[in-house]
Amino acid sequence: MSLGSYLASLLPIDLAQGLGVTGRFFFMRKATIQYPDVKPVPKPRFRGMFGFNEERCIVCHNCAKACPIAIIHIRDHFEEIEVDGKKKKKKVLDRFDIDVKRCMFCGLCEEACPTEPVAIWLTTMSYEMAAYERNERLYYDKERLQNWDGVQPYPGVVSPEAGQLPNDPTGGKAAKPEERR
Amino acid sequence: MANPWIAYLVVPFVKIVVILLVLILVAAYLSFFERKILAYMQIRVGPNRVWPRGWLQPIADALKLFVKEIVIPARAERLVYLLGPVIMIIPALVVFSVIPFAPEGTFFGLLKQPIAPYLTDVNIGILFLLGVSSVGVYGVILGGWASNNKFSLMGGLRSAAQLVSYEVPMGFSVVAVLLMANSLSLVKIVEAQKNAGVWYFLPGFVAAFIYFACGVAETNRNPFDLPEAESELVAGFHTEYSGMNFAFYFLAEYANMVVISAVTTVLFFGGWLRPFPNVAALAFLDVIPPFVWFALKVGFFLYCYIWFRGTFPRYRFDQLMALGWKVFLPVSLVNLLVIGLGVLLIGGPR
Repeated sequence: MSLGSYLASLLPIDLAQGLGVTGRFFFMRKATIQYPDVKPVPKPRFRGMFGFNEERCIVCHNCAKACPIAIIHIRDHFEEIEVDGKKKKKKVLDRFDIDVKRCMFCGLCEEACPTEPVAIWLTTMSYEMAAYERNERLYYDKERLQNWDGVQPYPGVVSPEAGQLPNDPTGGKAAKPEERR
Repeated sequence: MANPWIAYLVVPFVKIVVILLVLILVAAYLSFFERKILAYMQIRVGPNRVWPRGWLQPIADALKLFVKEIVIPARAERLVYLLGPVIMIIPALVVFSVIPFAPEGTFFGLLKQPIAPYLTDVNIGILFLLGVSSVGVYGVILGGWASNNKFSLMGGLRSAAQLVSYEVPMGFSVVAVLLMANSLSLVKIVEAQKNAGVWYFLPGFVAAFIYFACGVAETNRNPFDLPEAESELVAGFHTEYSGMNFAFYFLAEYANMVVISAVTTVLFFGGWLRPFPNVAALAFLDVIPPFVWFALKVGFFLYCYIWFRGTFPRYRFDQLMALGWKVFLPVSLVNLLVIGLGVLLIGGPR
């Protein structure tokens, strides 16, 4: 250590630097969102509550197999229908239940869905799912999955730039506060 | 003031009531501003729910503490346990009897005779202040011991060790001011700064720094808040206290912060004086009344307290002791020598 840096270490310069950081943060725009008064608007890639479309579903069970905690319960049966005079067997959905209270919104079911556009998706931008009765309110059968309050149609494939964080104006690409110069 | 009843009973009583009320209000709102400023430094908003915009938060907190149950641990030393907060808060409030807030005045002509807005001007004011404020640590130690809890006891012991180490450099930095002012009375010290034409911060900036740092250590605040280090000692000496007992400790801590800020202002920053009190070019600053100058300076130091809390990590205990005995004590001694030489050569107060 040179003499100059030793003498500098005697002065509380580092303390002043620390005070400068907190002093700068004091005047920064606050990150708080006053939740019940101001509702954050999620980005298109935000993984919210499920949407489901029975017409697109081909009953392949891929989503149920992909689910890591096995909360998608599917029941089906075969029906014979006539197409162009020929008899064909077709799978018909009896039940499509999701135990949403255990869901961790990983989105693997959406990735596993082979239809185009997908029959099950998470990008509905809804996050207000608190309920007083978990077994009744948070267990969704296929009718409720398609018609719950605030359900939105599948938005199509969203670009990665659209971001996932609520109220992040730069789509998750902004420098963190400590990186900002 | 012909009537001695008015002069010696009514006037001091009114002063005492006003000082205590203002002090308790300041201490309560200091906790509000602390939460608010800390929140702003962490880019949060802080308390803003109690109408309007959170300004009644301290009142709500006080009401909550009033109605809370006072739980006394089964194996606690009952009498000492209940006395602890009282011993802590009384010196913190008594000290304000000697702090001069403003010079004698008629309050913008409202009164016929000039009246001193401080309670007394003791000729050994600074000794009284140091002595009385040091009694407060008995409240910490006794409360910590009587709780019959290892965390409380550790907090109390740490507080005692910290106070003993930091009282010494604090005393030396005060002596530097006494050399320059040639008086022990706080009012005379401010008047000496007026005669000298500068705040004692300029000749004695080392003493001012050491005094304020030791003051932060004495009030058990960050970065010297070892007695109530949350990560090791739960809440330190007031772990077992609840309700109004806890509120007294809380109030005393904030009152002590106001004391240290006020004394720093009086000793080093010219009390109620404006900057450079003898420079005629700055006379327009006299528009601001002296009391407001005093309040502004005290407010600045209180802000510094909270600023430090928002910035610095806590010292380790051996680092704390090393800082007190190996840095502050020798530096304050050398500073005392330098200032003594200066007073001898340049000539101190006449």
